[in-house]
Amino acid sequence: MIRFENVKKTYKAGTLALQEISVEINKGEFVFLVGPSGSGKTTFIRLLLREEVADAGQIWVAGREIGRMSHWRIPYLRRNIGCVFQDYRLLPNKSVFENVAFALEVIGRPKHVIGAQVPQVLDLVGLTKKRDSLPGELSGGEQQRVAVARAFVNRPLILLADEPTGNLDPATSQGIMRLLDRINRTGTTVVIATHDAGIVDQMRRRVIELDHGTLVRDQARGVYGYGT
Amino acid sequence: MPVSVDYVARETASNLWRNRLMTAAAILTVAVSLSLVGSAFLLRQSVGNATARWQHGVNVLVFLQPGVSASQQASISSQLGQLPYVQSCAHRSAQYDYNEAKHMLAPDVSQALTVATTPSSLRCVLNDPAEAQAIFTEFHGRPGVASVNWPAQAVRTMENFTHIAQWVALVLALILLLSAAVLILNTIRLAIFARRREVSVMKLVGATNWFIRVPFMCEGLVQGLLGALVAALAVTGLHSVINYFAAKPSSSLYQFSMPTSQLIVTNVWVFMIGLVVGTVGSALAIRRFLDA
Repeated sequence: MIRFENVKKTYKAGTLALQEISVEINKGEFVFLVGPSGSGKTTFIRLLLREEVADAGQIWVAGREIGRMSHWRIPYLRRNIGCVFQDYRLLPNKSVFENVAFALEVIGRPKHVIGAQVPQVLDLVGLTKKRDSLPGELSGGEQQRVAVARAFVNRPLILLADEPTGNLDPATSQGIMRLLDRINRTGTTVVIATHDAGIVDQMRRRVIELDHGTLVRDQARGVYGYGT
Repeated sequence: MPVSVDYVARETASNLWRNRLMTAAAILTVAVSLSLVGSAFLLRQSVGNATARWQHGVNVLVFLQPGVSASQQASISSQLGQLPYVQSCAHRSAQYDYNEAKHMLAPDVSQALTVATTPSSLRCVLNDPAEAQAIFTEFHGRPGVASVNWPAQAVRTMENFTHIAQWVALVLALILLLSAAVLILNTIRLAIFARRREVSVMKLVGATNWFIRVPFMCEGLVQGLLGALVAALAVTGLHSVINYFAAKPSSSLYQFSMPTSQLIVTNVWVFMIGLVVGTVGSALAIRRFLDA
């Protein structure tokens, strides 16, 4: 599903973000991407979304090498990848329903499809009752669930999450992780970049650790740090 | 690239309303800028009209020798009439000229005149005032012709003045147009910058560039047209003012009056500029927030 082959990325200022990363993530996997700030986790995700282009090496997503992809195809790549961020990135003046529906509108889905799929996914994240609220009226955990709903509503192949629990307390974080786990069980590949040791240790899933842009660990049922 | 009309209409309307302060700023910018541009164009046309009318008022006076024979007079008259740049010629009798001279000259000078010594004259209206010189060279010193008078200096001064006035108005209009375009672009860019978050979310969920661009362009279109509407009203007002003053019976500004057709043409331009600046400006302003 996702394959990095000797990927290297340096930013303009000369900071080496990733060096010689080779890793493969299969369909339906649930992967934690861990490491301290500045280790290259966010670069990894930005490369997958093609917000950045690798300097060397190849990145394959769903059987397509995305480095040489032409610009007009990028939106179609992103439709296969749902995204969740630490800061939720909801549109503050649209209701919960509209925020989720927006993801479908943007890719040209007809009204009746939107009308059917949005309530379904709102039910999945447990926000059916809040469908007409604005993001500002929701708690952090609820906002993040709206973001998850928006990322998942068009059933992407991959769901990326960059520090999804960064702004949430442990109990709320667990709720989000359970949700992502449920989504993973539908066959969606889930990749979570995090430095939240608690959730990594609890979930016991594959852990890929980056440090200063190099891959230092790839463990099948790992925890956040060594020796735990 | 399926962009549904329904989506664009809804998105445009709600965005215009939600960002109504920015919308108002953009509309006012377009309105003020285009009012100035339109007014400059209108004034330029007005000066053009005045020039054309002044030029058509240029007369050449051919004074005939007192006591010229009727056949000589007829031949000069018909030769003048055959020149392509002469619109018409009228004969004034010696008596008429005498009365006119008495009226215009100081009493001590006019007392020396008698009807018998006053020349009769042919007064010719020209199509092209630049040809007055040609009439002078052709008829000056001919038998029966006493002298050829034409307002040489006045014509030249007037031509220079109107020439300069037209250029000044045109340059002014172009400078205003340029600054208007920059001002409008900047306002649109500011409005889009305020919404870069929304644009980034759209990109994130896989919106194509056109899908993002079209609602912004429609907003620009609406803003441009509303601004142009206000500007067109201002230009129409100016047109009425010019015609009001030109139509006053005592007015020396009658040459400046303008037909409605010129107003319509100016307003069509105002609308077209508003439309183009609004849509193209939005498309340019959004460009740097999209994938290259």
